[in-house]
Amino acid sequence: MNIGKRQAAALLAAAALPASAMAQSAREIRQRTLVIGVPSDPANLEPGTNRAEPIGSEIILNVFDTLVAWKAPAFDTLEGRLAASWTVSADGKVFDFALRPNVKFHDGTACDAAAVKAALERTKAVNPYMRASFDPIAGIEATGPLALRITLKETMPVFLSLLAQPQAAIASPAAWERHGDAFSVNPIGTGPFRFRSYRRDTDVVLEANPDYFRGAPQLLRIIYRIIPDASTRRLELENGGLDIVHQAGQLAAPPVQDVRALRNNPDIEVIEVPSQIIRQLEFNNNRPDSPVADVRVRRAIQHAIDYDGLLSGIFGGTADRVYGPLTSNSWAFDTRMRELAPRHDPAAARRLLAEAGVQPGQLKLTMYSFQGALWGAVATFLQANLAAVGIETTIAQTEFPAYRALHVAGRHEIALDGRQPWYNDPDAHITIGYLSSLADSAMTFRMPKDEALDQLILRAQTEVDFEQRKALYHRVQAEIVARAPAAWLFSPKLIVFRRKGVQGLVVNSAPPLNEYWGVSKG
Amino acid sequence: MARMIAQRLLAFLPVLLLVLLIVFALSRLIPGDPATTLLGPGATADQIAALRAQLRLDEPPLSQFFSYLWGVLQGDLGRSLKSGAAVTQELLERLPATLELAISATLVALVIGIPIGVLSAIRANTPLDHGVRIVSLAGVSMPAFLLAVLLQLVFGIWLGWLPISGRNSPYFLGDPVTGFAVLDGFLTGDPEAAWDAARHLVLPVMVLAAFLAATLARFVRNAMLEAMAEDYIRTARSKGLPERSVIFIHGLRNALLPALTVLGIKFAELLGGAILTETVFAWPGVGRYMFDAIRNRDYPVVQGATLVFALLFMLVSLGVDLLHAALDPRIRRRVGQ
Repeated sequence: MNIGKRQAAALLAAAALPASAMAQSAREIRQRTLVIGVPSDPANLEPGTNRAEPIGSEIILNVFDTLVAWKAPAFDTLEGRLAASWTVSADGKVFDFALRPNVKFHDGTACDAAAVKAALERTKAVNPYMRASFDPIAGIEATGPLALRITLKETMPVFLSLLAQPQAAIASPAAWERHGDAFSVNPIGTGPFRFRSYRRDTDVVLEANPDYFRGAPQLLRIIYRIIPDASTRRLELENGGLDIVHQAGQLAAPPVQDVRALRNNPDIEVIEVPSQIIRQLEFNNNRPDSPVADVRVRRAIQHAIDYDGLLSGIFGGTADRVYGPLTSNSWAFDTRMRELAPRHDPAAARRLLAEAGVQPGQLKLTMYSFQGALWGAVATFLQANLAAVGIETTIAQTEFPAYRALHVAGRHEIALDGRQPWYNDPDAHITIGYLSSLADSAMTFRMPKDEALDQLILRAQTEVDFEQRKALYHRVQAEIVARAPAAWLFSPKLIVFRRKGVQGLVVNSAPPLNEYWGVSKG
Repeated sequence: MARMIAQRLLAFLPVLLLVLLIVFALSRLIPGDPATTLLGPGATADQIAALRAQLRLDEPPLSQFFSYLWGVLQGDLGRSLKSGAAVTQELLERLPATLELAISATLVALVIGIPIGVLSAIRANTPLDHGVRIVSLAGVSMPAFLLAVLLQLVFGIWLGWLPISGRNSPYFLGDPVTGFAVLDGFLTGDPEAAWDAARHLVLPVMVLAAFLAATLARFVRNAMLEAMAEDYIRTARSKGLPERSVIFIHGLRNALLPALTVLGIKFAELLGGAILTETVFAWPGVGRYMFDAIRNRDYPVVQGATLVFALLFMLVSLGVDLLHAALDPRIRRRVGQ
């Protein structure tokens, strides 16, 4: 059969069409794929097993939905997600939620009141991390197909904030029954992205959920690439292998020199947002045999520290000052703290030490610190400050597990530590940190028995009226500052590096996890 | 020969037992409690105690060791404290990545190190020899992390020829067949994926191979110099054999014996280097798995990964011994007797 040149060309074009269409599709997928660099594997990708591990938590926020969520960009009010609306009883104990209609899980099953009830009850039963949040729940009822009632044993104004945590997200009951233990690596929720795959030590891949009830996301795919080495993450970001790198660890902070270098890189934008993370030099407040049991010694140490020098010298603008037990961006922050907070005053420090009967050079302390260059720099800076007032310190940088064990056992006298609130409420810092009845649990200030302060903290925790609650937290802050349980040092900013072209990213501060539903890549 | 292999394999058992005992004791001597680490902030003493009981960390160490040993004998290396998954399964998932790296690095080191050593020896004390010695000294001395970052900067960033990290590009999402990425690319009929995986292999292999190649080159050079001064070389030359035959058949064959021994010993260092290399290059292998486990006090993983490394080292040593026997008739005779 003879075919002319024109026919041959037509045939060739027809044969080439599917290939070019496929190439087009692959190109489009690449263009609409967001690649995020993270330092480690996520530990559990579903709310029933995740224990506030940050990478898994962020994935949960994007694969699942909570009943309520903090509203971007200010993150200061709650909005409904799976809940279209809700009411709270006058005594603050009964929460009635009206759920959104026609919401389906990624497996096609309905997300109705029965499913939400089952999901919350399961998380309450199986996730020990959520005990503190969900133990106050007396009962959960599906009062209608889309009506859910949660009754608390006691008044707990922070409860809605707790429901906005990733660990309070709603998982598909049918899916966890089908997958069993494997559900933690096969998560199925209602969120804007569907889970596609997880290769350990390599990547987690999410794909857009076109049926998402708030509208399909603009991205087609998110890939979390697991790159443990910070310098490799930076090189990949600069080279275009990553679109976003963000702090994804409670103790991690990008080196200042990296921040400076990347600020000067025209292809990269550095987003810096004040956080609610607090880093402090804390005293063991429950060790009567230690010199730091004397409040005058603690105040002397507070006055010895050059707070502004620390911020400018070590952090180069990547951290803010902290004046007390809450950061200045907390809604409960009392602005009087700026005046009450200790100032750098070496003369006052020496005077207080003399009043406490401590001679210059007599006091020798071991300052425990986490590992890493940043913590080492902070510890060295403080060591010089303390030496200037006659306190000799030895720095002991300790691996995280050993450090935490030492801290829980209360074997330290002074230690550098930090707190990162997981929900946007002063309760996250105050109750866990300063309630003396929790002194022996992990990550507290080991406060000595203090009925008056405990009662004040619990009143603030349970007060329903917002203004009264705020006033109570103001009192709590003043009382804590008076006891000088720590020298509050700085609050690192949340720093996210993104390549130009990534648009719509709004960084949340508490918890510091990003939602990618509204993000696009140009 | 089969008897020798059987004897050597049998001798593995007490060595492995000793390795297990040492790692078990060491991992528990390091301060830090896995339960506290796992539970994280806000955990109460009761919760920590409950998790310790659940993980059987509250049992006496000897009892923990024997129950672990019983599991190992049945192929059960326990469950990761971090992920809750079976360690055997997690190791099997990662082993191909480490083997792919280690085998490639060894081959590259052999291909580069031996010829350079030979060349350096037959051109001893010439500018070429001096150059080779300086370069090989640098290769032996340079820390792996520095070489890794240098290669990433030069070939990844400045020249843009090679990927900086990972085992393949994030857009290749194919399921593994054998776990060997390059091979899987071919097996799944996707040469583009194979090419992509091969490109990702280059930089970490260069880092791992550099040390081994440099060490080999130095050993082969010295061994060749010694061998070439032997009487049998003079005899071979006086018989009128071509110089190529003298060098490769009589010289190199004898010089290879000590080099092989070095290769076997240095393979352990290569595996140690894999821990760092896999971390810097985000390579999903056993080394990185072990590094994370040490940081998290994930005892079962540390023990399991050490066992795998010990086993690999012993297998390579056995392989080297077999090669020795193949190359040296005296050893063959001894084995035969």
